[in-house]
Amino acid sequence: MVGAEGLIGAADEAAAFWWLRRRIARTLVRQTFRRARLRLVMVILLSGALWTMLYWLFAEGFTFFQSAIHTHQLLDGAVRAVFGMFFLALMVMLVFSSSVILYSTLFRGPDIAWLFSLPARAERVFLHKFQEAVLLSSWAFLLLASPMLLAYGAVGSVPWYYYAMLAPALLAFTYIPAAAGAILCLAIVRWLPRGRFLLLALVAIAVLVVAAAYAASLVTETTADFFTPIWIQEMLGRLRVTENRWLPSWWLTTALLSAARAEAAESVMFLVLLVSNALFGRQLAIAVAAKVYRAAYSRLHTQRAVRRRAGAAWVDRLAAALTPMLTPQMRLLVIKDLRLLRRDPLQWSQFCIFFGLLALYFISVRRFSYDSYHVVWVHMISCLNVYVVGLLLATFTTRFVFPMISLEGRRFWILGLLPVRRETILWSKFFFAVAGSLVPCSLLVLLSDAMLRVDALVAASHQVTCLVLCTGLAGIAVGLGAKMPSLRETSPSRIAAGFGGTLNLVISTLYIVAVVLMTALPTHFYFAAIHSEAADLVVARLNLAPWLLWWLTLGTAGSLLAGAAATILPLWIGMRAFRRIEF
Amino acid sequence: MIQFHRVTRKYGHKTAVCELDLAVSAGELFAFLGPNGAGKTTTIKMLSCLLRPTEGSITVCGHDTVRSPREAARNVGYVPDEPHLYDKLSGREFLEFVARMHGLGSAQTEDRIERESDRFAMRDFLCELTETYSHGMKQRLVFAAALIHDPAVLVVDEPMVGLDPKSVRMVKDLFRAATRRGTAVFMSTHTLSVAEELADRIAIIDAGRLRFLGALEDLGRQTAGDHGSLEHLFLELTNGNGRAPEDLAARSESDGCARTDDNRRG
Repeated sequence: MVGAEGLIGAADEAAAFWWLRRRIARTLVRQTFRRARLRLVMVILLSGALWTMLYWLFAEGFTFFQSAIHTHQLLDGAVRAVFGMFFLALMVMLVFSSSVILYSTLFRGPDIAWLFSLPARAERVFLHKFQEAVLLSSWAFLLLASPMLLAYGAVGSVPWYYYAMLAPALLAFTYIPAAAGAILCLAIVRWLPRGRFLLLALVAIAVLVVAAAYAASLVTETTADFFTPIWIQEMLGRLRVTENRWLPSWWLTTALLSAARAEAAESVMFLVLLVSNALFGRQLAIAVAAKVYRAAYSRLHTQRAVRRRAGAAWVDRLAAALTPMLTPQMRLLVIKDLRLLRRDPLQWSQFCIFFGLLALYFISVRRFSYDSYHVVWVHMISCLNVYVVGLLLATFTTRFVFPMISLEGRRFWILGLLPVRRETILWSKFFFAVAGSLVPCSLLVLLSDAMLRVDALVAASHQVTCLVLCTGLAGIAVGLGAKMPSLRETSPSRIAAGFGGTLNLVISTLYIVAVVLMTALPTHFYFAAIHSEAADLVVARLNLAPWLLWWLTLGTAGSLLAGAAATILPLWIGMRAFRRIEF
Repeated sequence: MIQFHRVTRKYGHKTAVCELDLAVSAGELFAFLGPNGAGKTTTIKMLSCLLRPTEGSITVCGHDTVRSPREAARNVGYVPDEPHLYDKLSGREFLEFVARMHGLGSAQTEDRIERESDRFAMRDFLCELTETYSHGMKQRLVFAAALIHDPAVLVVDEPMVGLDPKSVRMVKDLFRAATRRGTAVFMSTHTLSVAEELADRIAIIDAGRLRFLGALEDLGRQTAGDHGSLEHLFLELTNGNGRAPEDLAARSESDGCARTDDNRRG
């Protein structure tokens, strides 16, 4: 339908944008099937393996809940608390992630200027990008939530409509924080374009600090032993914040748990509540976009650019002084990468925030020290801390290290014309990644061990594990980054979110899990066996005691081998691909 | 067709465009010249509804670019200096999308795509993905997209950059044909010879201020005698010490915008 001014109607405009999306998606799928079948299969298989593992973990967890908590009311409360906390945390994260994604697509997207030169409604352009942002920011949510919810359904023998309502309930729930993030993004750019990064960073830091302090208080301020009825009551009391009736996370929890308890009417009511709020949030975001999007875009793009002077900083001089073992060429490449990283606060601030929060948490876990708690628990927590650091590092190597080669793509003529061997470039990236990750990770693990007052030998073994994890993760990220570069892409976050980045994250996670299984489990059982009063049921049931020392020795050797393989193999593959690559 | 009414655009405290007053009528080829950072791209972005003036207003075919951006955009064909193309669309799909956005029906879309692919000699590559196109092929596609809806106004930012001689000739012929049909062409360029050859009127902008507006012959008369080439006159108006000729400088003093030496922002 064409209006009086020759403008198309809203429905035709929507159809045109969907047509555009379908065409692009179809081409992408075709190209992927034609050119990258193996890669696709690998990603599907590895994602499937990760999903299955999560499903198994959640199923074991819910089974443990059922066996450990005998009171029906307490069990119900505990599951409700787990769901509530999980959805609340994800809701807060979705607000921020959709806000950040929308900022980059609505205001920095290369196609926006072109779309605005067409007679397109601002709200249509917004909706087009909003739907993409919902998809992008929610895939991780679905990957995490679906195994948990399906595992709960399987363990709890729930009615069929519990499964039927999972998809609509999750989709509706995702829309609500995404809409809030969109409105936040539009409002900040429209009215506070100058201080947008500072404001967003401050809000994010405040939320994360409150969340970390809250999480630490949950773990450290308990007075009772774990999983006793008093401890559970205490925990439920502390988690009451998730029970706020105004929270969409509570609506989702109630909808799902009512369906699980076969209370169909109540579950449908909360599903309807979620859907109606999702639609209202979407309409509100569209209305705000119609009002402010064009003005915000204009305002942002007419901000005066800040002129920055750049010179040799003490950091560069320090880096040069600390790397005498490198060849001059490699040192220059490392310092160049360091400069690029430190002059981009958006990149390193994320690193600082998450590692800072982890440090805060480690400082607050001293309550679990040897003096107060049983050695087996303390040891287990110290081990878990090492692997939390590893998992966090895996996300950072995917986000920062993996895209490094891709980002050289458009400016490769600079390096390509220099008398430098391509291997040197790759080795410099590897060295940069190892040095950049080992120092903070090692210090964090040391802090955790110091706070928990673990044995010197255990602390030393943690440092070795940390080294193994850092070199392995750096090797995987650099090697895969060279093997699967996205040379046309200029945004590191898009590179990390692509096939290669996803594969890197999955392989990194599997590598960490392998190291955990080889070292942490036998160590835990070994300590449990030594301290007979805490002898583990699994050890006793399977009669593992005579094999523990073997398992521990072989596991440690295996983790060292896995570390060497994770470092050498991807680097070798990456070097071969990088030598042949044409820019 | 195009009317700038005392348009000012500031970037923070810096003035990129200062009280710009000009009008371009139907069938006129208007060349907008100026050194780097003079305010040309900012002016074009305001004209194509991307940026909003801090003060003043712009109308395209009577439609205000801020109050009625869709109606204004409907009458504009825009060729940016760095065009965006969707890599995963073919040239034909790209044109189809643009045609749909301008409200053309299926049959009309087909006819126009045929017309443009003939005009820009795109038949050989129109069904290939745009990610495989050379710069010249992309530029031809963008011109076709800008003209597919027969706009009343064609806005072109640096049309000749990266084009081979054959394509340059094609673009020149296109401009002549468009103006003959009554289309107003607003062209920003550094290629002075093209402006000299094609433009009915030229405007020279420097540091956000209009230094000259009129036909090429008027420029020779307003500066110190006829110096011959546009290049010479252009450099005289926007010379290294930044001083404009007496009569034009006097006009600049009275235009009400504070002079800033570093408002070199496109």
